[in-house]
Amino acid sequence: MMDLTQKQWVGHALTHPVEGFEDMRWKKAGSLKIALLIIVLLFFGEIAYGRLYGFQFYVSYDKTFNIIPYIVRSFVLFAVWVTGNWSVCTLLDGEGTLRNICIYSAYALIPYTAQLYINVLLSHFLVRDEYVFMQIIELIGVGWTALLLFSAIKSVHQYSFRKTVLALLLTVAAMLIMLFLLVLFMSLIQQIYIFISTVYTELSYRAKV
Amino acid sequence: MRSKLKRCIAALTAFAALASHGMTSAAAAEGAPYESYNYDRWGDAIPSQAGYMPERTLLGNDLGIGAFESPGDFFFDSDGLLYIADTGNDRVVAADVENDSVRHVYHSFIMPDGSETALKQPSGVYVSAEKGLIYIADTENARVLISDLDGNVQLEITKPDSEVFDQKRTFLPQRVVADKAGNVYVVLGNITTGAAMFAPDGGFIGFYGANRVEPTAKIVSEHFRGLFMSDEKKANRKRTVPSGITGFDIGGDFIFTCTSSSTQKTDTVKKLNAAGKNIFADRELYFGDYKPVYDATQNKMFAPSMVDIDVAEDGCINCLDFTTGRVFQYDEECELLFITGASAKQTGGFDHAAAVESYGDRLYVLDSSKDSITVFRETSFGRVVHEAVSLYNDGYYEEALGPWEEVLRRDGNYRRAYVGVASALLRKGDYKGSMKYAKLADAGDIYNKAFEGRRREFLKENFAVIAAAIAVGICGLAALGRYRKKHRKSKNTDKKEAEQL
Repeated sequence: MMDLTQKQWVGHALTHPVEGFEDMRWKKAGSLKIALLIIVLLFFGEIAYGRLYGFQFYVSYDKTFNIIPYIVRSFVLFAVWVTGNWSVCTLLDGEGTLRNICIYSAYALIPYTAQLYINVLLSHFLVRDEYVFMQIIELIGVGWTALLLFSAIKSVHQYSFRKTVLALLLTVAAMLIMLFLLVLFMSLIQQIYIFISTVYTELSYRAKV
Repeated sequence: MRSKLKRCIAALTAFAALASHGMTSAAAAEGAPYESYNYDRWGDAIPSQAGYMPERTLLGNDLGIGAFESPGDFFFDSDGLLYIADTGNDRVVAADVENDSVRHVYHSFIMPDGSETALKQPSGVYVSAEKGLIYIADTENARVLISDLDGNVQLEITKPDSEVFDQKRTFLPQRVVADKAGNVYVVLGNITTGAAMFAPDGGFIGFYGANRVEPTAKIVSEHFRGLFMSDEKKANRKRTVPSGITGFDIGGDFIFTCTSSSTQKTDTVKKLNAAGKNIFADRELYFGDYKPVYDATQNKMFAPSMVDIDVAEDGCINCLDFTTGRVFQYDEECELLFITGASAKQTGGFDHAAAVESYGDRLYVLDSSKDSITVFRETSFGRVVHEAVSLYNDGYYEEALGPWEEVLRRDGNYRRAYVGVASALLRKGDYKGSMKYAKLADAGDIYNKAFEGRRREFLKENFAVIAAAIAVGICGLAALGRYRKKHRKSKNTDKKEAEQL
């Protein structure tokens, strides 16, 4: 029963929003490699969405290219989500390990990622009057991902429906706190760097031999 | 080998000479006290060719009538006669600027009952060519005078005793305009509810074309706070009123207004139809410099403050920015064409720019502090652009293609020209070229149309190939599916057999 390869598990999880992740948990399936691949694909999908969109729909500012926002929108956000969820759910008697949260969440992001690529592709074939098709695809992608994400968190921690909602809300709060601390930390580091570089400049001017 | 080196050196020196020449000419710009610039498709300021060059400064003494004193407004009638409201000297001057001669100086007028009446600080003037009437905003006398060209007053408009008009306020006409039907529109200095509109017989009709209050966060929060206030408290708090109209001009059937408020972002320039509805309201338009400049020495933000507006015969809109002393010229579609002028002491710069007018290929700016009129002449580049724009605005897109290409040869950074070329090619049916130029112009809507055409063309040309490819693809997929099913089945049977054994 349920002798699936890792690739087949991805398909199973995607097509069974209610039972899929339960089955995965029961069979201890899921690969960290595939999860990482999905996040990398999400990263490139975000870049494509921002830069390669059809010109009739969106004019991108192509004078400069800054990769930081795309990294933040994919890797950083995912990492914060996973850690935030893990730290909250450890306190709420969740059964998920960090590894499992990471894998299940990444699998749940597949529809969203696919939607990015499909829309970028379609934006080169459609005109503005047909934009509604792209909107439908976007809606389906986002909705499906939301459903899967909910189901993933529910099964990975073995929660009830209400506890999952609570956990998700707390996770979002934890994410905000973490991002806030991250920004704080960054600015602190920057100030320290400026301080050190000023001291160095001062010294290099004074210590002339 | 040697000759190659020689050629190389020659080329280098030539290039250096060219570069230095180009740089000096750009910096000096033939005597203008500023470097002309324009905006590229990302909204960044870039050097550009000038559309107008300062030609000369005209003083009152040049006309032989003594110096002007803080003139407030001027107006060209259709015969090329310039009427100047010489505010400080209490007179209106009709001058022929081409020949430096004065046709008439209006100091006083004869009222219908035969008495004589003098002007007192007139700050606005308008001349209706069809009716042969001069309209003067006689500010300190709190009236608008309508007189024929010989100085016989036909009608005097004073403060209306209407309920709509707040009787506590004085009547301070600043600018005046009349439409073809003879309705008179008056900008009042202390009224923010729009221009006062009068019927041809002088009866007060109402207010016309008020600016909207910008929905900033502060105003929205004030509104919600107001829901919980007592009436007494409400009556005593600060009111949010829109900024009033500062200047206007009539062009065709539309009245164009501008406001000098530098804090206001919406409704800085409006195009009003006869009903007073703003045609520009639904479009996201921005007038003046895109980025307000901060000057640390004066601790001031330099946001655009449009004091006057003028509509040229070919439909171009000239907006005079008081803060920077620049005239921003837009075409009918509100695409930026040229930026002319600066705040400077030299010819071509302004101290206290008050009004702008255009006639023929000249642009005139009145400075009420330098008491002078600066005349700008259209450059050859400006002429090509204007030719292209007027063809384009009349709908002759294909005929405008030649001039637009000429513009691009002269200035490859000129964004408006790419829009023109893209539209022309679209009309011609060259969808591929149109797409290319629309991309360079950042014109998503033109690109959309061109793309639609190109797609249709592509499908028509390659329909057979695409249909064949789809058919082959479907067949291939079906075959693959069947093969895999069979394969799996045989594998399964193998497995089962193995288990049985």
